[in-house]
Amino acid sequence: MSGKPLSEKKATGGQLIIPVAAILFTLYYFSTIWNSPFEAQVAAFFVGTILLVLSLTFIVKRLWQWKRGEINLAFDDLLGERTMRLRRLILFCLTLGFVVLIEILGFTITTFLFLASAMLLLGQGRHFDRAIGIAFGAAIGGYLLFILAFETRFPAGPFENFMTSVVGG
Amino acid sequence: MIVDWAVLAEQFLHSFSMWWVIIPAIFLGLIVGAIPGFSAANTIIILLPLTLAVEVEIGLIFMVALYCSSRMGAGVPAILVNIPGTAGAAATPLDGYPMAKAGKGAQALAISFVASTAGGIITTIIALLTLPWLAKIGYVMHSVEMIVVMLFGISLIATIAARDTLRGLIAGFFGLMIGAIGADHIYATPRGTMGFLELYDGIPLIPALVGLFAISEAFMFIEGRSILSKEGRARMMISSWGATIEGLKITAQRWWHVVWTSIIGLVIGVVPGAGAAIASFVAYQQSKTFSKTPELYGTGHPEGLIAPESANNGVTAGTLIPLLVLGIPGGATAAIMLVVMQYHGIQMGPRLFMSTPDIAYGMIMAMLVTYLFMAFTILPLSRYMSRVTLVSTNYMAPLVIAFTLVGAFVPREYMFDMGLALVFGVIGYVARRTGYHVSAILIGVILGPLLEQYFLRAMRIAQGDPWFLFSSKLGNLLWICLILSMLIPWLMNRRREAPSRGDAT
Repeated sequence: MSGKPLSEKKATGGQLIIPVAAILFTLYYFSTIWNSPFEAQVAAFFVGTILLVLSLTFIVKRLWQWKRGEINLAFDDLLGERTMRLRRLILFCLTLGFVVLIEILGFTITTFLFLASAMLLLGQGRHFDRAIGIAFGAAIGGYLLFILAFETRFPAGPFENFMTSVVGG
Repeated sequence: MIVDWAVLAEQFLHSFSMWWVIIPAIFLGLIVGAIPGFSAANTIIILLPLTLAVEVEIGLIFMVALYCSSRMGAGVPAILVNIPGTAGAAATPLDGYPMAKAGKGAQALAISFVASTAGGIITTIIALLTLPWLAKIGYVMHSVEMIVVMLFGISLIATIAARDTLRGLIAGFFGLMIGAIGADHIYATPRGTMGFLELYDGIPLIPALVGLFAISEAFMFIEGRSILSKEGRARMMISSWGATIEGLKITAQRWWHVVWTSIIGLVIGVVPGAGAAIASFVAYQQSKTFSKTPELYGTGHPEGLIAPESANNGVTAGTLIPLLVLGIPGGATAAIMLVVMQYHGIQMGPRLFMSTPDIAYGMIMAMLVTYLFMAFTILPLSRYMSRVTLVSTNYMAPLVIAFTLVGAFVPREYMFDMGLALVFGVIGYVARRTGYHVSAILIGVILGPLLEQYFLRAMRIAQGDPWFLFSSKLGNLLWICLILSMLIPWLMNRRREAPSRGDAT
């Protein structure tokens, strides 16, 4: 593994994630159809086999380049700018929290909490009033437009239940 | 079924007098089309009590207008923030978004609006004049022909993969594999569902669309203060009406492109179940195939934007044809229209044109008038809508994540679908970061189950004989067209390269 110094080699480790995931998923998929009737297997075996061949070819190609010292297998290509990594991770956790909490707190409260915290996170705490104002406006606007006007069945929580008891419907 | 010109003229003028129904429906359609999860079909279902309560004519005109404008609305976020409002606009950002990033958002929107409107008008007129013949397409398109149409769509994967063949194909086939999740169409055997009952019906399209495009894009664009490049921002700041007029001119210069790509949409729209997503991908692929500058596709080329937008609006007219002539709805929205008509005791099929020609021709005329109104009401908005790209990503990213995730919940009202959208968001993010095209994954997810369905049906009819795929005249003609559409770009490339090779020696 000679070639260029490590810092000059292009980081391509992240490129292996999709092929590896594709291989694992295809093998899992095959395991679920192994005892199925022919009709349930034929298309999946056809597509899956091609996907396995393509993915393995890509992985072997990258490993060959790595062995010849042309690339390194770090994940810098996936993680992006160093300064943004922590913020992106926290934003992902906030998004996960949004998905989990919306069932309990309902659309309006969860949306407000998510928007306010995410906007403050991305703005690094600057423009506090503006972030809170936009989050409040968007959450209430969303409630008025989608739930009240369009009568869309968004996840309901304490706020929606209270408003239903006030305005009826 | 002879076209009665007097009835047509009367209906045309009458449709204009219904402006008070059409214009609000246009704006409502524009909004619901732009938000993932809020398709025209969902909105019409929500407003069903209203459409059933009013006169049938008003209800139908309202639905038609909302349906047409929602198609155009879906292209707006696709161009400005790389988030298609519906799967029908999934091919729009391929060239629309690079234009917006370069500060040509107003121009791209103007191109999209003009292509959509012109495509809609052209196909509505064609539909009106050829109703009886077009309706037969639905009869002659069987499993074999549909397999070839699907392959036309899938061949776009190869087009996208052209820049990095291996990664493009991996993305496309990964999408096809994901699209195969769910119970099979004959024995209902669950496959690849990981034990989730919510996946037995297959991968729902809206969470996939939201995750692959919206969530992943939001996580990408937080790296900059704006989604615009530095030059793009500077251009956007000085953007004037000139950009809109320029967009108009660009589309007018490519009028023939609008015509033939919208006809692709019309023909595919006539086939029940095919839909706007397939039409727009097929149109994009064909547009690139026959272009003199295929290398510009994907970099913000106007023709790459015109093709999907004309085609997905061509589908709207196509969807109405089997509904009106045969009583077979060509899509979800047409099915709801059928419900409304049946509720009012209107008999569908050929008798419709004899018993209630005002309803039959009225719906198509309403579509034509809607497109004419759209040209004057929406086009001037392009300059102002494009300002969205100037909003700081600090605010844009959280808004996109919150509202599109909730949009993923709306169609089936499963909390599971929000989680699924997040999973697709992660896949989309990894794909974008590492050079795999999310559009190729989405094409696979959309077309995979359809292809399998038609393939299994064909195999069952043929009792496993694969030669059945070449047993129909129309099918064979389509096979030839498919092979030619793959061969022609290769031959043209060779022809282009030949003189340069000659110069080199």
